[in-house]
Amino acid sequence: MKRLLINAVSAAAIALAAATVPALAQTPWAIDKAAAPLKGTKVKVLFLDRPGYRAIIKLLPEFEKQTGIKVNYEVVPYENAREKQVLNFTSKGDLTMALVDLVWIGEFAESGWIVPVDTFTKDAAITDPNLNLAGFFPLLLNAFGSWDGKVYGLPFDNYSGLLFYNQCMLKDAGFDKPPATWDELMNVYAPKLTQPAKKQYAFALQSLRGETQSADSFMRFLWPFGGSLLTKDFKSNLGSKESQAGLKFRQDLMKYMPPGVVSFDHAEAVNALAQGQVAMITEWSAFYGTLTDPKTSKIGNCLAVAPEPKGPAGRLPALGGFSLAVASQATPAQQKASWIFSQWATSEAIARAYVEAGGVSGRMAVYKDPAIQAKFKYVNPMVESWQQGVPEYRPRFPAWASITETVAEFGSKMMLGEVSIDQGTKDITVRMEDTLKKEGYYDGKKKKLQ
Amino acid sequence: MSTAVPSSAPRPSRLAHGRFTPLWFLLPAVLTLFAIGIYPTLFAIYTSLRRYNLTRARDGFPFVGLDNYQAVLSDSTFWQTLGRTAGFYFTVMPAELALGMLIALTLHRPGWSFMRSAVRVSLVVPLATTYAVVGLIGRLIFNRDFGVANQFASWMGFEGLDWLGSQSGAFAAIAIMDIWQWTPFCALIFLAGLSMVPNEVEEAARLETSSHLSLLRHVQLPYLLPGLTAVLILRSADILKLFDMVFTMTRGGPGAATELVSIYIQRVGFRIFDMGTASAQAILLLVLTILLSRIFITVFYREID
Repeated sequence: MKRLLINAVSAAAIALAAATVPALAQTPWAIDKAAAPLKGTKVKVLFLDRPGYRAIIKLLPEFEKQTGIKVNYEVVPYENAREKQVLNFTSKGDLTMALVDLVWIGEFAESGWIVPVDTFTKDAAITDPNLNLAGFFPLLLNAFGSWDGKVYGLPFDNYSGLLFYNQCMLKDAGFDKPPATWDELMNVYAPKLTQPAKKQYAFALQSLRGETQSADSFMRFLWPFGGSLLTKDFKSNLGSKESQAGLKFRQDLMKYMPPGVVSFDHAEAVNALAQGQVAMITEWSAFYGTLTDPKTSKIGNCLAVAPEPKGPAGRLPALGGFSLAVASQATPAQQKASWIFSQWATSEAIARAYVEAGGVSGRMAVYKDPAIQAKFKYVNPMVESWQQGVPEYRPRFPAWASITETVAEFGSKMMLGEVSIDQGTKDITVRMEDTLKKEGYYDGKKKKLQ
Repeated sequence: MSTAVPSSAPRPSRLAHGRFTPLWFLLPAVLTLFAIGIYPTLFAIYTSLRRYNLTRARDGFPFVGLDNYQAVLSDSTFWQTLGRTAGFYFTVMPAELALGMLIALTLHRPGWSFMRSAVRVSLVVPLATTYAVVGLIGRLIFNRDFGVANQFASWMGFEGLDWLGSQSGAFAAIAIMDIWQWTPFCALIFLAGLSMVPNEVEEAARLETSSHLSLLRHVQLPYLLPGLTAVLILRSADILKLFDMVFTMTRGGPGAATELVSIYIQRVGFRIFDMGTASAQAILLLVLTILLSRIFITVFYREID
């Protein structure tokens, strides 16, 4: 009897174990369980004073409550973000994550300051099975997060250049749709929309010296016109017929822009549209929130959004944005916590909440939602823009930090008429090729990656 | 039998003054000076002799001798920005000295004691304002559409200028903001100099002549020269390192219209992170500042007999 009882209990125990083991193995991954061993870990990252960061800050309490991971952030101006991070990484500071602008990825990766994501994806305990890298727009993952075939960062704050326009002003001038091409913008729309006596202009191009001049102004007129900064062998391509045509077009377009546009940063360009001073601007998708906020914009329902106009080479709009990457200098626990945070901040699970809070997610799925498409006018043109584009819209190699300074200096001088387009091109070419030579691109020491 | 007579003189204490006592008093100041002045300068000299790019740490920081100095001296942009800084210096200094002198002489009139006290306090306000804030205020004042500069211009019948969008306008705008901030400094230094003129000497001179110019030239000027030398030395060093105000106002633009040498050095040091070249530039500026100071002392400084 006793033996029978023992056998019965044993059989029941084995059956229970057999039933439980697969059940345990199939327990779904949960962020709170993954972060449990890391409770109390502090991570640190730099944020910018832009809508995408304000959006994630709104959602942060939910993450901290779920995981027990404390996210410390410092809000800095864009112009200081690289400097702060480079100094932090070179002095083994306290940042556990890097906020990587598209043009910093080469520098950060080659310097070993950031960790490839496959270091973490191997660890199933801290990697969300729904990470789904294929769910990001391929252009974004490639341009913002990858270098030399490896993924380092997850696309977080994502921008495409878009044409924001005042449809009421266009209607008053006899246009019921935005210009489809740059040529149309300048030769058909701009003359009718420019009235200097009333201080009204057709277009504003943010061109302040700095990354604004090189990324938003100078490069914007190379690619759509068939030009580019570099040839495949890393020589200057600015002297090509196409690049020259683009730069000349920019110069000609200036007569339809407000005076002093060379001192316009993003804020001034957005404000010019918001206050009805100009009819059209090409700006990052991220500024949609600023233009729709009645506190910062008078444009109201007159605001409309379209993809950037096409050039002779097609629609190759400005591409920009930031990824979140784990910093090499962080401790192993901080690295794991930072990885969990960056997965969460860029996840499909919070994409909708992030977009509704003012962020621009890099996930494809969220923009398929008709409610999101209807609520945010920028969505369809932005998704359309991200279907094509060039990751090397601005070269992403470490030498860009030096080249952008040269481009910004001579790009501004060209606009001001201080140097001719031809002379400015020659000046940029000499300095840029000198920089690239010193970097070792011409003697085969360095792979030609951009 | 002899008894030991206790000495009434106190035994020297360990805390009493000794040969090295003054050195102990000086030590904190010397250590502080070393930490915040000497060590960074020595480190700058060290980095200026090396290829020292922070973003290329993996390549090491090899010794390159005077290559960085040679590169700086043959860099046309360095000379252009230095020339622009000299232009800025010769634009703002005469204006600040002249206006400062005018304010000081106006306040140095007998019987204006309350006015003098009130104005002295208000003169400190621009000096106490952070450079970056002065730059931000400048952006608002010189805004083309809603800035007060163009508002004043329109009241006087002039058309609004595009201050920050044109090269000459931007240069004028940073010069005006510098004059606004530093004229009070000159005024206060000159006022202090004027107050050192002995009353009996000044009164006697006033009986001798009614010419304010003669009074200034022969009686007051000798007392103003030490202050003038100090102003010239301090402002020379200050203008050579002027960064925050210009950066927040124009970022060195438009084009390179307001790119002073300090803005260029910051660009090389903290954009390109070429600390070797930036240190060489900074050391050359230090040498220039010392040379200018010696010249000012030789030319202007006179002991008052």
